[in-house]
Amino acid sequence: MGVQYFAGVDVGSATAKAVLVDAAGTICAHVVVPSGGNLTLAADRVLAAALERVGAVPGDIAALVATGYGRESVANRTKTVTEITCHAKGAHVLYPDARAVIDIGGQDSKAISLDAAGMIRKFEMNDKCAAGTGRFLEVMARTLEVPLDEVGPRALTADRPAKISSTCTVFAESEVISLLAQGETVERILAGLCLSISQRVNSLAMRAGMAPRVIMTGGVAKNTGVVRAIEKAVGLPLTVPDQPQIMGALGAALLARNEAVK
Amino acid sequence: MDSGNGTALEVFTSVCDDFYATARAAAASGRKVAGFVCSYAPQELLHAAGYLPVRVLGRPGGTPRADQLLQAYACSLARSSFDAALSGEFDFMDLVVFSHTCDTMQNLADLWRSSRPNQKVVIVSAPTVTSGPAALSYYRKVLADVREQIEALSGPISDEAIRASIDLYARHRNLVQRLYDLRREHSELISGRELLAVVTSSMMMDKEEHLRLLEPFVAELESAGDVKAKRLPRVFVAGSVCQNMGFVTALEEAGCMVVDDDLCMGGRSFSLPEPPAGDPMDALVEMYLGRRPCPAFHTPGFDPGAFLVERARAARAAGVVFLLTKFCDPWFFDYPHVNKSLEAAGIPGLLVEVEQNLPVPEQFRTRAEAFVELLKAKAE
Repeated sequence: MGVQYFAGVDVGSATAKAVLVDAAGTICAHVVVPSGGNLTLAADRVLAAALERVGAVPGDIAALVATGYGRESVANRTKTVTEITCHAKGAHVLYPDARAVIDIGGQDSKAISLDAAGMIRKFEMNDKCAAGTGRFLEVMARTLEVPLDEVGPRALTADRPAKISSTCTVFAESEVISLLAQGETVERILAGLCLSISQRVNSLAMRAGMAPRVIMTGGVAKNTGVVRAIEKAVGLPLTVPDQPQIMGALGAALLARNEAVK
Repeated sequence: MDSGNGTALEVFTSVCDDFYATARAAAASGRKVAGFVCSYAPQELLHAAGYLPVRVLGRPGGTPRADQLLQAYACSLARSSFDAALSGEFDFMDLVVFSHTCDTMQNLADLWRSSRPNQKVVIVSAPTVTSGPAALSYYRKVLADVREQIEALSGPISDEAIRASIDLYARHRNLVQRLYDLRREHSELISGRELLAVVTSSMMMDKEEHLRLLEPFVAELESAGDVKAKRLPRVFVAGSVCQNMGFVTALEEAGCMVVDDDLCMGGRSFSLPEPPAGDPMDALVEMYLGRRPCPAFHTPGFDPGAFLVERARAARAAGVVFLLTKFCDPWFFDYPHVNKSLEAAGIPGLLVEVEQNLPVPEQFRTRAEAFVELLKAKAE
């Protein structure tokens, strides 16, 4: 019998992520794919891709924890755990001194405060509206015809942020178009959008309670413009892992490992 | 559970599936019906006058009529109740009793009066500060005036009839309080959703009828003996009205047990003291001012934060979930203080804003599950 793996599958609104860890908890494979319209299919695809990386088959998975908005769509799961617990777990294992996590994904933003043992003290989530999340940035980047990965670097070159007053994604889009028409630079608008996101996240962060070290996870953590803006708003430096998107799936895989040990 | 209690619970639950069906049927067969918007309405007076008192709780669905007349920050209880009234769904109510709890309700009473000229609107203005001689004498005058307004429609109400209604309501309240005690001690016997159905249906049904079903229901549960306790996190629920049963249901589906509450559709409305002897109007004054205050009122010496901590501890609750109706300003002004007391006591809290007339949002399930995970991790 070959190596046994513990799998975490995080099906989010924008992307599906899979992480395989071994019995020691070391990451053996991680994959990110777009979620698309069929969440079950996305979960299957992302897990198959991860297994392929290590040359394993589904039978090599000792336990699987599903998380994320599509967690109920994941086949063959040992159990489901919310993304809040998974991000906290992932952050705590990589950074044992983590006391807070800010996670911004496709539709959700969350602020989580942790105690010294990595247990969640309190969490806050955006509710009812996806303004200030990954989808918001995607829409704006498309409107401004800026590739998503250039949003952050270009925002950081602005001398000052443009003023974006609307928090609604649709209204903010028309506001961006008006700003362009008024001759505002793309860089200032991008900086304004990053500022707008940071202000929304900061109100969650203040409610949850922030203390160093703060880890930022989720796809939006790849955007340096947003990261710098949140650091300024929260007043604390953020630690961004190499692969911020997979933190939920990593936490899930580590919880799967705990599950199998039980 | 045997068929007797199964049947009673079915009745309570079916009333909650369609709040007003019972009252509408009663009205169709000639019974006079009085709607009451707030639990501070002296239901005993309405009952003594021959009315079937029915709680006004809005209803599920959109509110296009009310949206024309109410500002965006009126709560979903006001909005959906008023929308139902404007569409004629509440025409079976002969009168509607409002309380001066918040600006929205105070102004809704006037709007209601002008929009539904054939429906008598009565406003009960309980004193904001509920203790002291001035509060007592003021409220005595208010209730005398309310009695006169009702009598103008119903004919004279005798003191004996009021006393009989007070006694009936007290008997019913005692039963509900016994059910709360039972759930606190043997939480596996009755779920939060079931108790919510008992309480909500009691505000919709004829009191004698509800009592007739509730007496054997409680007695049977009390004699159920030892049931194997479930090892689920124990949760206390606090909040405003909670007519949307979906939230408590989804909360329990997330893997916890609701073991006690401070809800208007719950313990708070059944916290009136035993009726004092003597003049029945004086008794009503003492009972309604002596109850556990809702956040719209102030009782000197009553600290809502300390109260919640004490109740949560007494119920051995691991956490508190606040189901606050969105835009319920009396509750939201209290919340920061109450939450601070909870944090100081080391009891985790989860705040959820509820739109009473809309389905439970998917995100609520995630937050409820995450909260249960937090409580479980804390217990380990």
